[in-house]
Amino acid sequence: MSNVTTLPVEGATEAIHPGAVEARASGEPEWLAERRRHAWTIYESTPMPTTRLEEWRYTDLEEKLDLDVLHLGSTLARPDEPESFPGGLRSAMEEDREASGHLVLIDGAVVHTDIRPDLAEQGVILSSLRDAVAEHPDKVKQYLATVAVPPEEGKFAALNAALWSDGIFLYVPKNVRLDLPVRVTRWISEAGAAFFSRTLIVAEPHSQVSYVDEILSDDLDAQTFTSSAVEVITQDGAQVQYVAVQRLGRGAFYQSQQRTLAYRDSTLDTLNVNLGASVSRVDLNARLLGPGSNSDMLGLYFGDEDQHFDHNTSQDHVAPHANSDLLYKGALDGASRAVFRGVIRVHERAQQTDAYQTNRNLLLSEDARADSLPNLEIAADDVKCSHGATVGQLDEESLFYITSRGIPQERAERLVVMGFLGEVLARLPLGGVQEKVTRAIAAKLANHG
Amino acid sequence: MPENDVIEGLDLDTYKYDFQDEEAHVFRTRPGLDEEVVRQISTHKNEPEWMLDFRLKALKIYESKPMPKWGGDLSGLQDTLEEIYFYVRPQDKMEHSWDDVPEKIKETFEKLGIPEAEQKVLAGVGAQYESEMVYHSLKKEWDEKGVIFDSIEDGLKNHPELFRKYFGTVIPTADNKFSAMNSAVWSGGSFVYIPPGVELDTPLQAYFRVNQERMGQFERTLIIVGEGAKAHYIEGCTAPVYSTESFHSGVIEIVVEKNAHFRYTTIQNWSNNMYNLVTQRALVNEGATMEWLDGNLGSKLTMKYPSCYLVGEGAHGNILSIAYAGDGQHQDTGGKIIHAAPRTTSSIISKSISKGTGRSSYRGLLQVHDGATNAKSNVECDALLINETAKTDTYPYIEIDEKTASIGHEATVSKVGDEQLFYLMSRGMDEEEAMAMIVRGFIEPIAKLLPMEYAVELNRLIELEMEGSVG
Repeated sequence: MSNVTTLPVEGATEAIHPGAVEARASGEPEWLAERRRHAWTIYESTPMPTTRLEEWRYTDLEEKLDLDVLHLGSTLARPDEPESFPGGLRSAMEEDREASGHLVLIDGAVVHTDIRPDLAEQGVILSSLRDAVAEHPDKVKQYLATVAVPPEEGKFAALNAALWSDGIFLYVPKNVRLDLPVRVTRWISEAGAAFFSRTLIVAEPHSQVSYVDEILSDDLDAQTFTSSAVEVITQDGAQVQYVAVQRLGRGAFYQSQQRTLAYRDSTLDTLNVNLGASVSRVDLNARLLGPGSNSDMLGLYFGDEDQHFDHNTSQDHVAPHANSDLLYKGALDGASRAVFRGVIRVHERAQQTDAYQTNRNLLLSEDARADSLPNLEIAADDVKCSHGATVGQLDEESLFYITSRGIPQERAERLVVMGFLGEVLARLPLGGVQEKVTRAIAAKLANHG
Repeated sequence: MPENDVIEGLDLDTYKYDFQDEEAHVFRTRPGLDEEVVRQISTHKNEPEWMLDFRLKALKIYESKPMPKWGGDLSGLQDTLEEIYFYVRPQDKMEHSWDDVPEKIKETFEKLGIPEAEQKVLAGVGAQYESEMVYHSLKKEWDEKGVIFDSIEDGLKNHPELFRKYFGTVIPTADNKFSAMNSAVWSGGSFVYIPPGVELDTPLQAYFRVNQERMGQFERTLIIVGEGAKAHYIEGCTAPVYSTESFHSGVIEIVVEKNAHFRYTTIQNWSNNMYNLVTQRALVNEGATMEWLDGNLGSKLTMKYPSCYLVGEGAHGNILSIAYAGDGQHQDTGGKIIHAAPRTTSSIISKSISKGTGRSSYRGLLQVHDGATNAKSNVECDALLINETAKTDTYPYIEIDEKTASIGHEATVSKVGDEQLFYLMSRGMDEEEAMAMIVRGFIEPIAKLLPMEYAVELNRLIELEMEGSVG
């Protein structure tokens, strides 16, 4: 970022500047324009994270991200014609026929939305975030970049809140339960660009919904930045499953900042699958705000070549009598590297907390590397908390057992890896996800050996 | 002394070792730290030129390094550092026999129980009073074996080549701000050399004691364990309570040569106004074993992470850490293991107890370098919370750059279970006895590795601390 020194603000570039914020704000309601400007001022005053910060200790942005050369990605919506969609996008969507609704986002804009009519009648909203701002401001204004991922969260949260171009709004009214998942598919086609999107999910009391968001691209010949801010609000007694599958091509820098708010007696489970991109950084903060709330937090990653994954999770137990259970597992081949940094924070009044955190890594090659930092910060005494982390290679005994049954070594290795990672998927059996991710891992594993 | 005699009749509101002697120092520097103070220290110690240069260079590094922002709260420290005396010398000559030690100082030691201990198993006693060794004895046969157990100053004076070969090699001056500070102003501590093949059955012991308000203590210890040698070194600390904050920053360097076995035990019980910021590290060579047994009971804030650099094939490192954080205390402790050679193995076991407004943090680093094949390590951290205002944190760093490594880390946090208490109370114990028994059971895996007197003392301390913890 040598050019930045000539500009007054760290992270301000030819493309990323106040004029760009104003361009996004033009034609928007004043409250939103104000929020963008406010976010920009925070972006300006927040230094770019460096490895001196605990949260960025193992991901050096100076080396991994060059904002200067990025232009802002297109925000023009392509025509909603599935036959003209890129092949990779179409094949991903073909597996997702069973759904309560679909949404497709290509580059910076939503191009397609459908929702089952009976659900729409019951008041379920699945829409582009831009449309939702215009059509449902009463429902959006309260939550958008306020309680979940406000710009104050950090440099990237601020940048996203200032420059987001579109995103997803999913709203499920009280007592409405969706039997099939809502499926979102995103495609990135423009190399060298920066994209900013947001996801806002609000589940009213005692509603139920599962949401699967997949992002894909072909390999990109220039660094491409995708920033995503995810806000999930689960009100009393509601149940939400949030799944994000990242299968971007090489060249992509995937950055996702997620916060989930779980109120009284709600269930809010998340699964982050990261298989693609050159650099992948996920910040997930789960807040247990109501007594009786419960969060399962699952993560899975498989790296090869020089892929870099960084997961930064936190489990904030604010209310008493809540549970959270985190399991992140990854396998690393080639010269790939994974970082897991997780913290369980039990706040003073959060008695009767049960919180667990486990990170397990499998190193499949000499050049792979794993760093694990499972932290605990406990300020209440009547709690059950534990964490564990392991790093190791393939279990020799399992391999021996399988090969002694006549299965060749390479295939046996793949089986053991699949078994290792499969534990995560089995914890959140959601239509199609397990099969799809398993296939994607198998495809990557085919190169192992 | 039977255990049950101790508990009766002790006033728990006063610190057990809260007594102080009249100050009778001979020389001290003015408060604060600058080049002149460093020069004065060196002149007073009659040091060779290279040591003065070493100190002055360290001072520059110290001044250039920012105050750490992680770990404990050091915000009050800057003011403290401007007020303390960096060097105080209580008396001029070294004492080699107990009879020669001045009465006043003897009384202090008696309160600490040193003579009692000496009559039993103590083999060599190097007790540090303020900043210098004032009392020193070493068993005859060890002299014959060539074992050196000196004050650090005498080590420099009498064994200049050995000293210079190792001094500052395990912990470079620039390692951290406080190792730099210590390198500039160090005073007191031990110099130990165990010749190759020598095995010592009884531990070497040094008692440290700070006895002057606003006085920092910067002990520097250098231990060299020769090839195939075996020894155990025990350091215990206690300090009287004062109203203003005090400061202790030691540097302990240990070299464990090939196939040697060394254990370093610390029972730290500084008074609750002490900043205790210590750097201790061992270089562990081929086939050698290093064990740190680190007990942190006192101080206001301790930041201490004993470390093993496993640089030789098959080296083994072991860290056993026990921390107790009572009201107002923060124990930020743990350990570091660096696997830098093949087939190295290590284990860290940490047990912490937090009570009242106390906070104990485990901070650890486990690193396996590329090429350190078949390294194995296991880390276990257990935290016990005695009541609802107590806090505990766990911050392990695990950095693995080697496929064949096998690494595990586990941590749990729990409170004393109602069922456990109920069970013991139904057997006729009152609640405090039951609590003390549970806590003793919790730390037992570490306590059992201590020499008898220390284990007894640790249990006594735990019992004292547990009184008034329930209800």
